[in-house]
Amino acid sequence: MGYAVRFEEVTKRYPRGGPRYPSLRHELTESARRLGQRLRGERPEPRGTLAIDRASFEVKEGEAFAIIGPNGAGKSTALKLVSRISYPTRGRVRVRGRVAALIEVGSGVHPELTARENIWLYGQILGMPRTEIRRRFDDIVGFAELAHVLDTPVKMYSSGMQLRLGFAIASHLDPDIFVVDEALAVGDAGFQARCVERMTKLVADGKTLLFVSHNLYAVEGTCRRGIYMERGCVVEVGPVKTCLATYTARAGRHILEHDGGVLSVGSQRLRVRVRCEGPTGFPRLRTGEELRIVCDYESQGPGLRALFHFGVTDGRAGNLLLASQVVEGEASIELQNTGRVFCRIPTLPLMPRIYEVWGEIRLAQGWGNLVDWQPLARFVVDYGSASGEAVSHAWTDGPVRVHSTFWHEKVESLIEA
Amino acid sequence: MSTQGIAESPHKIELVIEGGPRPRLGQALRELWAFRHTALAFAERDVRVKYKQTVLGVLWAVIQPLTFMVVFTIAFGRLAKVPGGGTPYASFSLSALVAWTFLQTAVTFGANALLMDSAIIRKVYLPREVPVLGAVGAAAVDFIIGVSLFAVLAPVLGARFSVAWLLVPVLGVLLALLAAAVALPLAALNVYYRDFRYALPFALQLWLFASPVVYPLSVVPAQWRGLYVAANPAAGILDAFRRVLAQGTTPDVGLLATSLAGTAVLLALGYRLFKSLEPGFADLV
Repeated sequence: MGYAVRFEEVTKRYPRGGPRYPSLRHELTESARRLGQRLRGERPEPRGTLAIDRASFEVKEGEAFAIIGPNGAGKSTALKLVSRISYPTRGRVRVRGRVAALIEVGSGVHPELTARENIWLYGQILGMPRTEIRRRFDDIVGFAELAHVLDTPVKMYSSGMQLRLGFAIASHLDPDIFVVDEALAVGDAGFQARCVERMTKLVADGKTLLFVSHNLYAVEGTCRRGIYMERGCVVEVGPVKTCLATYTARAGRHILEHDGGVLSVGSQRLRVRVRCEGPTGFPRLRTGEELRIVCDYESQGPGLRALFHFGVTDGRAGNLLLASQVVEGEASIELQNTGRVFCRIPTLPLMPRIYEVWGEIRLAQGWGNLVDWQPLARFVVDYGSASGEAVSHAWTDGPVRVHSTFWHEKVESLIEA
Repeated sequence: MSTQGIAESPHKIELVIEGGPRPRLGQALRELWAFRHTALAFAERDVRVKYKQTVLGVLWAVIQPLTFMVVFTIAFGRLAKVPGGGTPYASFSLSALVAWTFLQTAVTFGANALLMDSAIIRKVYLPREVPVLGAVGAAAVDFIIGVSLFAVLAPVLGARFSVAWLLVPVLGVLLALLAAAVALPLAALNVYYRDFRYALPFALQLWLFASPVVYPLSVVPAQWRGLYVAANPAAGILDAFRRVLAQGTTPDVGLLATSLAGTAVLLALGYRLFKSLEPGFADLV
């Protein structure tokens, strides 16, 4: 099988995007300044921001391919190049087949028009032939669940309904290559499930899928192969698990550099800073080691009696673990002046990934929170084992490890007498 | 921005997307042709959206030319005694105003089309002239209503039905080409510098007074007329509309040909400018 998309030494530099908003005057003075530099024999620095730096990779036909990386890695730009919305500064992008994008789903739907008009017109604008729209009209309406409001202007819809309409139209296009940019945070849980189902079906039908998401859980579920990008460069090409492992390792370093700066969370009465510590004191550890969640606080006025309530997630909705004074029924802690509260999880059962600690600090008396439920800190579980076990990529297949034993029994006949 | 492979037969044709040389004119036009239905969809959408949630609805298409006709007839026809060239001033001005309104609406909406549809531009590939041409097409609907209005009012205004009216569609196409020729480069520049957006209403006002709408073309001395029409292609077309609609005669072929040549030059330059700026649109709009 050949490739569907191929990047050959692609560089994309956005012409502007410097510190200033572009204006004609700025443009003229800037050009004059550059001309001056050239005349003096200096080489002016290249203009604009570098979004992709000599990237090369190949997406095979009929494959679900992920592009992962932190913010500003150039993921969305790569998708824009594939869909011909934006052009490379240098290098070549080869695309075999028709491309349709699910970038910013729903932004093209016109609020003044009805759903019927939007399907008809927006469908054509997205490149669906009229006969095709006529044929699939009912499917689209059914998928969006909007049959009862088909002739109401879209502006009267709830925002969820608008997004559903956009996704329904866009996902019923018939391209060879689908480009998806964080589009799945759409609608309620039921609709999201159907979106994932629809994408899985597209791949099963032999479509190529190019997928960008911060939701590593979604990427892992959908894609087999991918690249990991950082600051415009392709760092890793290969199985999606390897890329996620690289992301985990690299982003871990990022977390070390940036988390736990100031006492920022909280109200006027109480300010807190939460960080995570492994055995080395840094927010990274290995499976089975001890994790400490450390909360520095600064309290004003009389002492506050508080209960700490933490949850750990890997990005999906809900928590994998709960570490809570509320659940444990522990005595509340009095916070006065400054101090430090520790929460110790002796044997962390989490597999290699990036995790986020969410939490709230409740007032022990009466109702109300000193700190509302929100993400507070991150930590990384690294590859490698505290007990010296062999570690493989299979370790990332699930987030929580439970100790289990397997055994085997011989049975004569499986048909009950 | 060279793109090999045409969207007409899209199946599994390799497309090479790269920076560098612009596509040739022929290739660009072939691609535009492949997207003709999309342009019509834009036009249909613009027409549908335009009069949504208005009480007067499509009446707005005739209110502007009618109001201007009344004002011009009083101000220029009665008070300033501008000659109507042998026809009543009301039909003299309305015949040109119907055409002028089309030009003005088409240029205004065409020049802003890329900004209005920035969501689509940033998201979907299509030749970027498609929304601009769609906006011009949407204005054509108003134009047809305007011409119908003139036909209905003709007996009252003192204009005569004539076989020459059959030329109106041809002149309409010419006007649409001129509108596209002006709207395309403005739309492109608008993406880069919003200054054009604010300058446009003002520039259109000046253009109105530089064109034979309130006054007849005959006020320009005969030896300068060719040059005037070459510099302002709208003049020849507006004059042709007036001759056909208000006077029931055939247009001045020489002047119309000059207008056509001027329009062709503008269109070629405008389209070229548009295409050369096009690759940056999605990054800047």
